[in-house]
Amino acid sequence: MKNRIEEIRNEKGIRQEELAKQMGVSRQTISSLENGRYNPSILLAHKIAQFFEMTIEEVFLFEEE
Amino acid sequence: MYYNNKRLALSIFWVVLGIVLLALSVADVLDSSMYAGMGGALIVVGIFQILRNLRYRKSTDYREKIDTEAGDERNRFLRMKSWAWTGYIVVLVQCIASVVAMVLGKSEIQQVLLCSVALIVGVYWIAYMILARKY
Repeated sequence: MKNRIEEIRNEKGIRQEELAKQMGVSRQTISSLENGRYNPSILLAHKIAQFFEMTIEEVFLFEEE
Repeated sequence: MYYNNKRLALSIFWVVLGIVLLALSVADVLDSSMYAGMGGALIVVGIFQILRNLRYRKSTDYREKIDTEAGDERNRFLRMKSWAWTGYIVVLVQCIASVVAMVLGKSEIQQVLLCSVALIVGVYWIAYMILARKY
C-alpha cells in the first residue's frame, strides 16, 4: 500500500524521530512505512492521519493488487 | 511498563538457580559439567537482566526507548514472523534429517525426528484451534 507520509511529513517540517515519538513507534517503523515495506495496523494508520489532521484516505492510497 | 517487579523477581530467580546449579556441580552432586555451564549462563543472563531493570527504573530516556521497542507494532510483527519462519525451518530440517537417517539406516533417530515433527504439527493445530476461538 502506497502512502504520502514522507511527503506530508516534509511539508510540515517534521523529522522521522518526532513523528515516531508522537506515534509511540520506533523511527525504523516510520522509515519502513515511508518506503512501503511495512503496512500499518488500522490503529496506527488512524493515529498518523489524525496527527496530520487528515483522513486515512488522504494519507494512505488504497490500491487493489 | 516493560521491566516490572515480576521481571526483576524472575531475573533474581535465574541468578539463584544458576548459583545452585554451579554449586551442585562444583560439589560433584551433579555429574555433568553441562550443569556448571548452564548455571554460569543463568547467572550472567540474570545479572544482565537485573542491570537492565535497574537502568530502566533510573533513566527516563532508557525507559522510553525500551517501552517504544517493546510496544512497537512493527517489532511485534517481526517477532511473530520470525517465530513462524523458525517453525517452518525446524520442521523442514527435521523432515530432511529423518530422510537422511532412514537412508543411513538409523531408524531410532528417524523415529525421534518424525515424532518431534508430529508433536510440532499437533501443537500447531491446538494453537490454531484456540486462536480461532479467540479471534
